[in-house]
Amino acid sequence: MQPYPALRERLDRGERVVLDGPMGSELVRHGVRWADNGFRTNADQVTALHQEYLDAGADVLRTNTFQLNRRVYQNVFRDTAHMRHIGAPDLDARVPRIIGRAVEVARAARDRAGRLEVPIAGVMSPLEHCFRPDLAPSFEEALPEHTEIARLLAQAGVDFLLLESMNTVREAQAALRAAQLTGLPVWVSFVVGSDGRVLSGEPIPQLAADAMLVNCAPPEDIQGALAQAPWLSGAYPHIGRFDPPSWKFEFFPQFTCTESWPAERYAAAARAWNVQLVGGCCGITPEHIKALKS
Amino acid sequence: MTYQSVKAKLQNGKTVILDGAIGTEILRREVTWADHQLRKRPDVVRAIHADYLAAGADVISTNTFQLTRRAFRQHFKDDAHMRHIGAPDLETRWADLLRAGVTLAAEARAAAGLEHPVAIAGAMTTLEWCFRPDLAPSPAEAEAEYREIAEVFADAGADLLLVETVSSVQEAVAAARAARAIGIPFWIAFVPNERGALFSGESLAMAAQSLAPLEPDVLLLNCAPPDDVRAGIEQLRPYWQKPIGAYPHIGRFNPPEWLFTDEYPPTRYLEEARAWRVQVVGGCCGTTPEHIELLAQRL
Repeated sequence: MQPYPALRERLDRGERVVLDGPMGSELVRHGVRWADNGFRTNADQVTALHQEYLDAGADVLRTNTFQLNRRVYQNVFRDTAHMRHIGAPDLDARVPRIIGRAVEVARAARDRAGRLEVPIAGVMSPLEHCFRPDLAPSFEEALPEHTEIARLLAQAGVDFLLLESMNTVREAQAALRAAQLTGLPVWVSFVVGSDGRVLSGEPIPQLAADAMLVNCAPPEDIQGALAQAPWLSGAYPHIGRFDPPSWKFEFFPQFTCTESWPAERYAAAARAWNVQLVGGCCGITPEHIKALKS
Repeated sequence: MTYQSVKAKLQNGKTVILDGAIGTEILRREVTWADHQLRKRPDVVRAIHADYLAAGADVISTNTFQLTRRAFRQHFKDDAHMRHIGAPDLETRWADLLRAGVTLAAEARAAAGLEHPVAIAGAMTTLEWCFRPDLAPSPAEAEAEYREIAEVFADAGADLLLVETVSSVQEAVAAARAARAIGIPFWIAFVPNERGALFSGESLAMAAQSLAPLEPDVLLLNCAPPDDVRAGIEQLRPYWQKPIGAYPHIGRFNPPEWLFTDEYPPTRYLEEARAWRVQVVGGCCGTTPEHIELLAQRL
C-alpha cells in the first residue's frame, strides 16, 4: 500500500501518529548557514537531520521547504529588473530547484532508512512572513503562487501536502485550493496567538482538508486553540523564544531559551492535548520526537 | 576632534578614504552574516576595522547596517507578540548592538596606534529594506526613529553619521533633520539606478536641493554597481558644490548573502575610482581591504 493511504488507515483506526520535528531551527542550532533553507552550503546536514527524525521514530517526514517561495528573493530587490541587474544570475530558478532538491533529500533519507511506509509531506507556508498576517496577500494574488509551489512539490514526488503556520483564513483557503489542484491529500495547520485564535485574530475555521492542525506557537497557546476548535486533530507547538538576527529580514529560524521544555516535559504535555497527530515546531529536537514516540 | 581633521581635508580639496565592506567581509572570512556578529564574534569585526585602518582609511564605519528597533519588531505581529514569543531583550537589543558597533570601531582605532586622525562614522540606513522605498515609513515616524538611532551613536562616541543606501528624498531629509537635531555631522549616500536616479524615481538634483539647507558635509553614491554609481555622480555634480563621494558594490547580491566575482579586482576598481573625480572614495559590498589599500596609496 502507498504510504499515505496506509497512514490514513492508521488514523481511521484511532492510532496516534508522530510527526517529525523542525528542520530550520535544528539546522541553525548546529551552525548551518540559513541561505536557500540551508541547501546552499549544507545539503548533507539536511539529509542527516531527516534521518535523525526517522531514527527517533517519526511516522511522517516534512520537507525542508518552509517559507521557501519566490517572494523570499524578490522582496529584497526593488523589482524583477533590479534583481536581474544586481542579483546572482540564477535567482529566478532558485525556488523550483530547491523545492525539487528538498523533496529528493527527504525521499533519499526515507529510502536509506528502509522506512518506505513513511509518507513525505510537502510543506507549504505563508508567502510573506508567518508572524505577519498584516502582510498576507489577497486570495487572488496568493492562488497562482501557491499553485506553482504545490505543483513543484507534487511533481517532485511528495505523498501529501501540509500547509503550515497559515496566519490568515483567506491565504489558507487559497493555498488549500492550490494544493487540492494536485489531487494529493492536504492537511492545514494554523499559527495561533495567545487567544487561541488564528494569529490574524480570526476564529480557527473548519476547512475541507484531510486533517486540521495548529503549530508555530507556544504549548499554552496551542492548548488554548485545541480547546476552542474540537475539529483539530493535530498539534506541533514551538518551544523557547524566537530570536531573530539583527539584520536578516526574512524568516530566520533561530530559537533560544528552549531548556524549560526538556523532552519528557514536552511528551507529557503532548499527551494532554489529546489529539492524534503530534510533532514539533521550532525549538524541538530529535530527542523530543523520540520521547513523543515512546 | 577627529572629524575636524577630516573636514579640513575636505575643505582643502584633498581625497578622503572611506573604508570598504564589512558585512560581506565577515562572510568572506567564513562567518555567517545573518547577524552582525557584534557580540558573537567581536574579534572578527574588530579585525576587519583594523585591516581597513591599516589599508589607510580616514573614516571607518560601524558594522550597523540596517540595525534598528524595527529590524527586530518586524519579525513579529506586534509588540505584545514579540514580548510573548520573542527572546527577552529584543526591545533594547538594537541600542545595545549600536553601542557595541561603535565600541569595536573605537577599540580597533585605539589599537592601531595611527599618527593621523581617523573618524568613526555611525552607519545608519533606510528603516525598511534598503532597495524598497515603497515600504518607507512616514516622514514623522522616520525622523523619530532616526533620531533615537542618532542619539545612541552620538552618545557612544561616533564622530559623524553616515546615512547610507538611501533610496528616496523623503528618507534622506528625515535622517538629516534627526542628525541636525542631535548636532552631529552627517554625510548622506544614495543608491542610484542605471540612469543615475533614485529608486523612488526622484532625481539627485531634487535630492541635492532638498538637502542643501540641512547642510550635510558630503553627498555620496553607494550600494550599486560601479556603472550606476558613475551615472549617479554625473547626475549629482551639477547640483552639488560641496564634496561628493562614491563607494559602489562589486559582485552580486545572493540573498541573504553575497556572490563574490572577479570582475573588479583592486587595480580595475582603482581605475574606476579615478574616473569618478570625487573627493570621498571607499567600497560597498564585495570590496576588501586590498581595494581600499590601493585607493589610499594611489589617489
